[in-house]
Amino acid sequence: MKALILVGGFGTRLRPLTLSVPKPLVDFGNKPMILHQIEALKAIGVTEVVLAINYQPEVMLNFLKDFETKLGIKISCSQETEPLGTAGPLALARDKLIDESGEPFFVLNSDVISEYPLKQMIAFHKSHGGEASIMVTKVDEPSKYGVVVMEESTGQVERFVEKPKVFVGNKINAGIYLLNPSVLDRIELKPTSIEKETFPKIASEKLLYAMVLPGFWMDIGQPKDYITGLRLYLDSLRKNEPSKLATGPHIVGNVLVDESAKIGEGCLIGPDVAIGPGCVVESGVRLSRCTVMRGVRIKKHACISSSIIGWHSTVGQWARAENMTILGEDVHVCDEVYSNGGVVLPHKEIKASILKPEIVM
Amino acid sequence: MKTSDQKVVAVIMVGGPTKGTRFRPLSFNTPKPLFPLAGQPMVHHPISACKSIPNLARIFLIGFHEEREFALYVSSISSELNIPVRYLKEDKPHGSAGGLYYFRDIIMEDNPSHIVLLNCDVCCSFPLTEMLDAHRRYGGMGTLLVIKVSAESASEFGELVADPVTKELLHYTEKPETFVSDLINCGVYIFTPEIFHVIQDIRTHREDKANLHTLSSFEALRLTTKTHAKDFVRLDQDILSPLAGKKQLYTYETMDFWEQIKTPAMSLKCSALYLAQFRQKSPGLLAYGDGTKNPTVVDDVYIHPSAKVHPTAKIGPNVSISANVRVAAGVRLMDCIILDDAEIQENAFVKYAIVGWKSSLGKWARVQGEGDYSTKLGITILGEAVTVEDEVVVVNSIVLPNKVLNISVQEEIIL
Repeated sequence: MKALILVGGFGTRLRPLTLSVPKPLVDFGNKPMILHQIEALKAIGVTEVVLAINYQPEVMLNFLKDFETKLGIKISCSQETEPLGTAGPLALARDKLIDESGEPFFVLNSDVISEYPLKQMIAFHKSHGGEASIMVTKVDEPSKYGVVVMEESTGQVERFVEKPKVFVGNKINAGIYLLNPSVLDRIELKPTSIEKETFPKIASEKLLYAMVLPGFWMDIGQPKDYITGLRLYLDSLRKNEPSKLATGPHIVGNVLVDESAKIGEGCLIGPDVAIGPGCVVESGVRLSRCTVMRGVRIKKHACISSSIIGWHSTVGQWARAENMTILGEDVHVCDEVYSNGGVVLPHKEIKASILKPEIVM
Repeated sequence: MKTSDQKVVAVIMVGGPTKGTRFRPLSFNTPKPLFPLAGQPMVHHPISACKSIPNLARIFLIGFHEEREFALYVSSISSELNIPVRYLKEDKPHGSAGGLYYFRDIIMEDNPSHIVLLNCDVCCSFPLTEMLDAHRRYGGMGTLLVIKVSAESASEFGELVADPVTKELLHYTEKPETFVSDLINCGVYIFTPEIFHVIQDIRTHREDKANLHTLSSFEALRLTTKTHAKDFVRLDQDILSPLAGKKQLYTYETMDFWEQIKTPAMSLKCSALYLAQFRQKSPGLLAYGDGTKNPTVVDDVYIHPSAKVHPTAKIGPNVSISANVRVAAGVRLMDCIILDDAEIQENAFVKYAIVGWKSSLGKWARVQGEGDYSTKLGITILGEAVTVEDEVVVVNSIVLPNKVLNISVQEEIIL
């Protein structure tokens, strides 16, 4: 079985992290974002994953070589030379997605994190016999998104409504699709929107069905949602694979710690914290609701909450980072400095406190 | 040695990528020395100035940018000016004097009698021939180009005191906290090969000192985060300060313009200064037009020959338009730099801004800055491939590459 992951473009909303690596390679829960999806696809028997990209193919390809061998799954790239929207890339990758088996293929949006109940989706797709299945998820504020209006019992999709002004439903497109190869016949190789053009057409022929996504869902394409997403992800780990989470007297709530990370004495870590490979957390440190990426050193007595600390950065002694502080790669916060929502680009040193949210270039 | 036998070699320090993030977001795409001012790469201006020196044998660019970034430029400028230009890459930063010392053998290959040392990010008229004559008259080891500035701004630079008659450098101090003098160091020097002995002495002295005692913790606190290995030698603090008052160093004062190009906003200011200099010295490089076959041009404007500008556009003052730019009908451009391959659609307006490579401004878009070259958001800077949609206004903002602006913004940094 095959799958396509829509990786898209520059990931500007996740800057400054995406100034250092392309978005799919930004770590989430201690592994590159895209690896969560590739692993889920591998687990249900997908043999080939195509990444639809339009940016930095060399970086992606290098990374992929490592994971192809480690995971035993074929990974290739389909590169757009001009932006093709959300459906065009499927046409571009057509030859890679169709084989003689006639099996349906998955399409995933790379910014999305969820439990990926793909086996259930295959069963759902077989049972309704339509041409395409999409996952939808319930949200509190549907008018921020595109709402999918569907018949509750069968899941047959009636229509899509973009940012509705009145309440039409609370299910939105979760960015996970399972499509029959015939869908590719509907998509031309030009900039096309799958939500605005392709799916409405299939829905009008009553061949599009939606399944409500069980478990959590988050679009982690921007820092605020990344931090919320981590909480949801760790909650889900607690339910499904609790042995992966850290335990100990210095741990509160759900905390993920890479085995190569070191944590000192007298720390209080959690809830909702991920500490990546090679990190050093010195003694007396308080961490909550934050991600600490590979190679970071948090010095003694520091306090970090609701923040993302980028690769190989350091946070000084008695320093405090909170309120959506995002440190890019190789950022050094000096001792005793306070950052209230500082967003710092790579290779900077912060010597003076940042008292209100500010971008430091 | 007769003057006609005395070869001169020029060395231009071009720095490297980790040194300073102040030139972001433009430095994401191009090394600062190659950023265009008045239509020519920044480093081109000191290089052209060197060309006027009699008996110039060779020009060296020293820095720690990747070699491939300079390869193309160096070969094309060598053939264009018919003088050998070579890029020497430091394996790591050695400081302004350390870099010179590191490559001393290569620099001395032509057996020069004089070495002109320039910093690439200095914007001035580079009166090198006059400075060389003065240097020969003084008979010292080195001559510094100096300029008077306002007392308030002097503390940002190296302040110095010179004898008003002999012009000897009597005292030098870098970025002092209290007022010393309103005469500052421009970052342009002429040395005799004796400079290498002086740097050598500093290095040996430093090694001896290190061997004699370890730094007290107070001294350790006073050091900057860079570890001062024995081969990191700064010209200002390590050479000029100690040698002041010893009849070795002299000064030459310039009455022309002088600026340092540390930020993108300053590059816009300096582009204007160089455009004005073109008007004096090479008016053929500037654009002219009255709206009939060519666009209306106001004051100093540079337009690359490959750029297409509609005749109903009005351009200037102080505008530089780079290669392959397309400017549509009814566009007004003032005080700006439009970089390669940008597209500016009908009736758009740009003032006090830098529009990045491959960017696109929609119809009736307005991209504007206040024109304050010294504050962070004093001009608007659009990075590479930024799209400003029709009728959108962008004021006093910095926009990182690849963004699409479909709503107006003011005083913002857009990542």
